[in-house]
Amino acid sequence: MNTDVQIAIVGSAGDGTIAAGDILRRAMAEIGYRVISFDLYPAEIRGFGKCIARLRVSDEQAYSLKQKSDILVSLDDSHAIPHVGEAREWGAVIYETNSVNPLPEGAHLSAHIDPGQVPYNVPIRELAEKSTGAARSRNIVVVGYIIGLMRLPLEPALRALTGKFKGKGEIAQKNEAALRAGYEEGLRWFRLDDIEFGPPPAQERGAHLEMINGNAAIVRGALDAGIDTFFGYPITPATSIMERLASEMPKRGARLVQTEDEIAAISATLGAGFAGARAATATSGPGLSLMAEMLGFGVIAEVPSVVFVSQRGGPSTGMPTKHEQSDLNMAVFGGHGDAPRIVIAPTNVEGCYRCAGRAFEMAEAYQTPVIVLLDLYLSNRYETVPFPDRPPFEADTNRYADTRGGAAGFQRYVLTADGVSPRSTPGQPGGMHVATGLEHNELGRPNDQPDMHLAQSRKRHEKLKAALRHPGFEPAKRFGDTGAVDVGLVAWGSSFGECLEAMYLAQEEGIRCAALKVLMISPFPVEMATSFLADCKEVLVPEVNYQGQFAGILQMQVPRAVTRMTRIPCAPMRVEEILDEIRRLAGRVVEPQAA
Amino acid sequence: MSDARHHVIIGSGVAGNQAAETLRARDPDSRITMVTVSRLPFFNRYDLPRVFRGERDWRRFVIYPAEYYRRNRIALRRATKVVAVDSINQTLTLQHKETIHFDTLLVASGARSYLPEELSEYRPLLLGFGAFHEAVQVAETLPKRGHVIMLGGDTIGLDLARTLIELRHRVTLLADDYTFWPHEVSEADRPRYIAALRNMGFEVIEAKERGSLAAVSQGAPGLPARRLVFKDGSELHGDVVMPFFGNVPILDFMIGSGVDIERGLLVRPDLRTTHENIYAAGDNCQIWTDSVRRYCFYHGWKNVRAMGELAARNITGANEAWTPQHDESLRLTADGKILSPFWEYQ
Repeated sequence: MNTDVQIAIVGSAGDGTIAAGDILRRAMAEIGYRVISFDLYPAEIRGFGKCIARLRVSDEQAYSLKQKSDILVSLDDSHAIPHVGEAREWGAVIYETNSVNPLPEGAHLSAHIDPGQVPYNVPIRELAEKSTGAARSRNIVVVGYIIGLMRLPLEPALRALTGKFKGKGEIAQKNEAALRAGYEEGLRWFRLDDIEFGPPPAQERGAHLEMINGNAAIVRGALDAGIDTFFGYPITPATSIMERLASEMPKRGARLVQTEDEIAAISATLGAGFAGARAATATSGPGLSLMAEMLGFGVIAEVPSVVFVSQRGGPSTGMPTKHEQSDLNMAVFGGHGDAPRIVIAPTNVEGCYRCAGRAFEMAEAYQTPVIVLLDLYLSNRYETVPFPDRPPFEADTNRYADTRGGAAGFQRYVLTADGVSPRSTPGQPGGMHVATGLEHNELGRPNDQPDMHLAQSRKRHEKLKAALRHPGFEPAKRFGDTGAVDVGLVAWGSSFGECLEAMYLAQEEGIRCAALKVLMISPFPVEMATSFLADCKEVLVPEVNYQGQFAGILQMQVPRAVTRMTRIPCAPMRVEEILDEIRRLAGRVVEPQAA
Repeated sequence: MSDARHHVIIGSGVAGNQAAETLRARDPDSRITMVTVSRLPFFNRYDLPRVFRGERDWRRFVIYPAEYYRRNRIALRRATKVVAVDSINQTLTLQHKETIHFDTLLVASGARSYLPEELSEYRPLLLGFGAFHEAVQVAETLPKRGHVIMLGGDTIGLDLARTLIELRHRVTLLADDYTFWPHEVSEADRPRYIAALRNMGFEVIEAKERGSLAAVSQGAPGLPARRLVFKDGSELHGDVVMPFFGNVPILDFMIGSGVDIERGLLVRPDLRTTHENIYAAGDNCQIWTDSVRRYCFYHGWKNVRAMGELAARNITGANEAWTPQHDESLRLTADGKILSPFWEYQ
């Protein structure tokens, strides 16, 4: 890559750290760079707690953040000091040169800058005060300073700023003044770092680039797929799915209801799905637990429905603002009885868009609940996504029964070769049937005979296999070296980005390496996984949960030894850690990491 | 807190780094903190003319890699300005209001280029040569075969001029009392040395012959970027004007410290100041020299480095006196050129 620059801004809640990162990433995207960005913030609203905005700017879309940042900015030294080591050798460390209060030795960031890092001691507060009359715009000064220092155009940042403070006249003016002051200051400085911004890549034809986060991409995918009903109950980190839909759906004549809890949300979603609507809900782990029983109902009644689940740290209320991938077992197996469902897990923001749209297609085509499993990292991280100019989703994938002139006794659950029974919707003449949570016969009437239970169970399981061949959807995809490899990584969800980065780094070190991205976890792409694993001398399965839930599913489907790499750092897995494990498995010497 | 002594060094030039190296060798368990206003680690300032040969990567000028400081546990505080030293409480205050306690302090803050008062109003039109970025700025401003006007002409300037002439730039030296600084050239010898400069390719104008400099201004459109007007009404045009009037010690932060200062910090032959835990080394100190019965400056990197080492040795228990390491006399070579011992850094 000609351009691959990561910027980290560290501050305290209330410093505008996240806002600064937001303006920067939007400016970089408008310039034409590809961006991935993820913010860390405390559960508290304001006044204390560390905030970090990180964005990686490149000319090819990256799917993970780098271990080291090229530019580290401190808006609050007490929070930034532990992160100074994150700036790479010859990278830039930007910090406030003055202090309001006397400091004991070591309390200023300058005391912690490594001799290999390049200090930029900027009078941030002074610039903010001179340009706006107050220190509040320090974050915007920093944005301007970075753009000036890196000799990037100012206009995209001005537009991003205008967009952010739209309708806030005086505030917008002051922030523009702060941005310009920072920019002029940045231009003035002699650069000692070796950070390079090359020309941005050319735009793809037939697509337009947008800066968007995972939850927003889910919403875009749902809207482009024609969602017309949504029932939900707010829960971090899925809430913004409902919030965004609430502002968009009414414009399209679609309906959204905030229900009293998650049980009502899934029940109403299933009701709408039964009625023929493209229906969805969104939740996180605790909500998914509450939905478990009704999901089983969706399975047995064969009702199309989509559930977006964004995982957070668990169990129980757990850690609402921390990242984890520990709801996989719940998504795949949660609930009683043999209740197979489709579970797909996007690995990046563009994947969120595609999975959201395809989920509606699959729900209808295979008449089942479909869970789209995200995680906090994916929900909240921003990427530049090349959206197609025309939505790629089918508007209706239902298989409806022709019930005109039909005799009494519509066989809603008739046994077919592929397991999918033509459906009807309420009110359809000749399509009347019983939909119940009880095991049933082909008419839908309660039936607990072993033969029927076996037949219907087999039907519910077998029909899902077709999802592995769903048009426009690759359940798994191989990356890296072809043929036999020393180490093969198998990964799912957002962790795949870190795995891919680690794989590329391992390849640069001469290790034959490949990675299998598994998008569809239920039903599992057994053939593809079997073929991939056969090529691998060693198999590494990194994931952000304690148990190694995905590795368990993999081994259940493809029995063979794998190395489980489970970490629960309350944050995305570190690329360096995965790389070290690849090196170890490849027989390379791994230097012990400094504490 | 450990009981290890905290040695603080102000300045990260030749003297400061030599002192740090010696301190680490002689006091392995100590804390060493080096504070400097520079954003760069220690680099070879004498080698800056290489910038004009196209070398713009400052890393290639760095003497010690970052790893050196890590390995030797030398805390390098760059971009950090000391604003006050309290010799009683043994603390120094940094510009950002941080206070650092020291057990011993070595002031090796060096010197900055001197600009005579009468030229200060023209500062925006002059280009300096004290820092790496200034050298780059000159190199980027100067056109191919450009014309450099040097004011004064101390040994740093003359050294740069040698490179510029070799690279086929035109150098006009406006000679005055600062020419050849810090060498002392007698009135009787001066014509021979000026002739030697001309022999080396310099165009030399004795400032006094034109009644000295009256003004520096922007050049008119179509003419070189700078215009010098002399009191006799004559003019001189060039692309770049650079002042080289020697150096003055950087000691603002020592005012009020309780340590004696004349032009530089006054130190005994063991480089100790009037405070027993504060030492000085380099261009910013005047050393008591028995032979002439006065406090003297000593220049050149060999002297400065030796001062850094001596100060560190005495800080760590030695009791040794300063002896100059360098013959400071300006020489004339057999082929009629001048040669300063301060240029022998390569």
